Amino acid sequence: MTKARTTPSQAPEDESGLDRRGFLKGAAAAGAATAAAMTAATQIAQAAEAKPAQPEGEANMRGNAFVSRPGSDFMVDVIKSIGIDYISANPASSFRSLHESIVNYGGNKKPEFLTCMHEESSVAMAHGYAKAAGKPMAVLCHSSVGLQHASMAVYNAWVDRAPILMFAGNGVDAAKRRPGVEWTLCVQDPAALVRDFVKWDDQPGSLQHFAESTVRAYKMMMSPPQDPVLITLDIDLQEEPIHGEKLSIPKLSLSAPPQADARALREAAKMLVAAQNPVIVADRCVRSQEGVDALVKLAETLQCPVICNGSRMNFPSTHYLNLSESRPGLIRNADVILMLEVQDPFGTLHSMGDPWKDVRRAAKPDVKVIHITLADFLMKSNYQDFQRFQPVDLPISGDAQTSIAPLTEEVKRGLSSARAAELAGKADATKKRYRDMQERTKTAAALGWDASPVSTARLSAELWNAIRNENYCLAVSDRVAWPKRLWPTTKYHNMMGGSGAAGVGYSAPGAVGVALANRDKGILTVTLQPDGDMCYAPGVLWTAAHHKIPLLIVMFNNRGYVQEVMHLQRMAGLHRRDPKTAKVGTMIYDPEVDFAKLAQSFGVWGEGPISDPDKVGPALERGLKIVKGGAPALVDVVCQLR
Amino acid sequence: MRIAVAVVGALCAGAVLAQDAPKGSAERGKKLFVDLNCYSCHGTHGQGGGRGSEPPIPLGYPWAGFLQQLRKPRLDMPAYEEKLVSAQEVADLFAYFSSIKAAPAAKDIAKLRTF
Ligand code: HEC
Repeated sequence: MTKARTTPSQAPEDESGLDRRGFLKGAAAAGAATAAAMTAATQIAQAAEAKPAQPEGEANMRGNAFVSRPGSDFMVDVIKSIGIDYISANPASSFRSLHESIVNYGGNKKPEFLTCMHEESSVAMAHGYAKAAGKPMAVLCHSSVGLQHASMAVYNAWVDRAPILMFAGNGVDAAKRRPGVEWTLCVQDPAALVRDFVKWDDQPGSLQHFAESTVRAYKMMMSPPQDPVLITLDIDLQEEPIHGEKLSIPKLSLSAPPQADARALREAAKMLVAAQNPVIVADRCVRSQEGVDALVKLAETLQCPVICNGSRMNFPSTHYLNLSESRPGLIRNADVILMLEVQDPFGTLHSMGDPWKDVRRAAKPDVKVIHITLADFLMKSNYQDFQRFQPVDLPISGDAQTSIAPLTEEVKRGLSSARAAELAGKADATKKRYRDMQERTKTAAALGWDASPVSTARLSAELWNAIRNENYCLAVSDRVAWPKRLWPTTKYHNMMGGSGAAGVGYSAPGAVGVALANRDKGILTVTLQPDGDMCYAPGVLWTAAHHKIPLLIVMFNNRGYVQEVMHLQRMAGLHRRDPKTAKVGTMIYDPEVDFAKLAQSFGVWGEGPISDPDKVGPALERGLKIVKGGAPALVDVVCQLR
Repeated sequence: MRIAVAVVGALCAGAVLAQDAPKGSAERGKKLFVDLNCYSCHGTHGQGGGRGSEPPIPLGYPWAGFLQQLRKPRLDMPAYEEKLVSAQEVADLFAYFSSIKAAPAAKDIAKLRTF
């Protein structure tokens, strides 16, 4: 929390018309005879040199005037006041003043400017960072072309419930826009582009308005369900000097998250205590270790198996109640299912055949479903991430993480000692089930152990063996299924889920953002990086190298968009046509991408391509050495398709 | 086609053994497995890739079942009709499947014992 602060009022500064004619006169007076042949920039520089600087407010000619306290300085004060440590951006003229203020006025610390090579990278980095750091960072972009690039990544973050403070530079006053490019970059309503998938947006018309809207946006964004927000940065507001007005930054205090209604939780507890085969399904449920610990207590109290969907590390995989790999049987036999912030309740109770789209019920027809979610609070019409409607027996609006502890208390209250003893008696059978599940998983991992290209199970096992003594984080944990099946997870930070909306291009920058947050906490970050995703905006490798963000990138290089190969196979089968053509337009070879060289060209240590499974382990060790020295490294492993 | 499937189904129920398969070439089958893109879902060693796409390795069921799975798959696998994949090619694929060696036991793999 930050105290309210008042910026000292300043005398109005010189705002004289720095127009082209005025400037040229000034330049001529300075003896710049060749003015016509010079670029505007050189002219400005020369004109400034030619005359000693005038005190502020006195001059009214270009080259004599200065703005020593631009509006963007105050914007930096606001951004600092809410505790933003990093601000990522591809540099752009519509926020040049704020950029300069961040670096020179703000000292380029808290926030530090992170140079990005694509707005999609800026946002995806912020997305990964938010999940790992537990706090948001900010992003700057042009309100037109920059936000257009950024928009898919904003949508990913929206679906994944990740808070990001977005700023988009824009020139509202048409009379002040520089002719040409500045017009093509300006927008009447910048937020329209992303309004369907940001929680809130505003276009402040004054600096005071900026302060209030930014603090409001931050507060709203951090109240679960957390999601991105967007504030427009008017160019003139940034560049013009602060006038005499008294400016103040409102105090930031965050709302307590909405806990579920006590009576509803009591009812849920009753159902769970009475259930014979209850199951907990946790999706975007926890935001921190506190949530993981709370869920363990609830599951243990009920001796209730947990299925973790993997969008967050909700429940330790080392715990015998984590039976995620036995999902079909658990769902099929359940009499009560407690869903915790599950994105797709229908898909939890059903599956759908492809391509015939026949719906198959996965659960008993009379299973009772409880769902604790804030989904009703943040649903927009246009984008359909809310999934098919699924009626629920006990729907409870509330923040799942915050509601777990009071639910556990209700369960304890409702549990007679006889029932508690009965439940405790289930533990041995569940432990055996867990051990059997682990054995089955390992047996499946052994299939194709020596295969070349390398099997994804082998790759995952090799990577685990390289990091198993570390406090680790797998930055993107849903692109290869094996780590979630095999790796021991005990901490929230061990696995960071995925993109949210399956917008390809998240994995590489998302991992860099996660690694940035972990760098400050001393957690070793690794990632399994699909090749197709890396090809979207590989410039993020340079960002990682430039900002010394330690991250071991292990390429899951199957040389294709393999999901799409399978779709084409299905379509060819359906249309009774040649199945051999499924590689056309889906595979990435001829020529093959050399990811080690790609990494090296961006200043990142790179090795590969490696197809021999026995050579993977030693290469990972070499890469880890670099990462432990504080830099990113990439090992390219040519893999089986899935 | 319907009749053919019914016949294959009946054969399958009668547990026809692998020996009844037409003679196939594992080498040709291996190439077909990649050319026909079977490996995109099943992996080159039949290790699978989720959604129930792991065939039992080594192949633990009969030729008729294999043929049936290709011509009229049980669930979501694409169908491979005679006009696209001939009986001989199916036999080659079957020969390849049958030639894949069983995986080592997990307990014999040091890097799996760490889990
Ligand atoms: C698009 C993915 C896909 C492709 C391509 C594919 N399969 Fe399958 N296969 C599956 C799935 C999923 C199953 C599980 C049963 C089902 O869905 O019918 C399966 C099952 C099988 C089985 C039976 C395994 C069992 O456990 O019963 C065999 C044998 C098989 N496939 C062979 C092949 C061959 C040979 C090819 C290539 C000609 C092929 N598959 C192509 C997805 C695929």
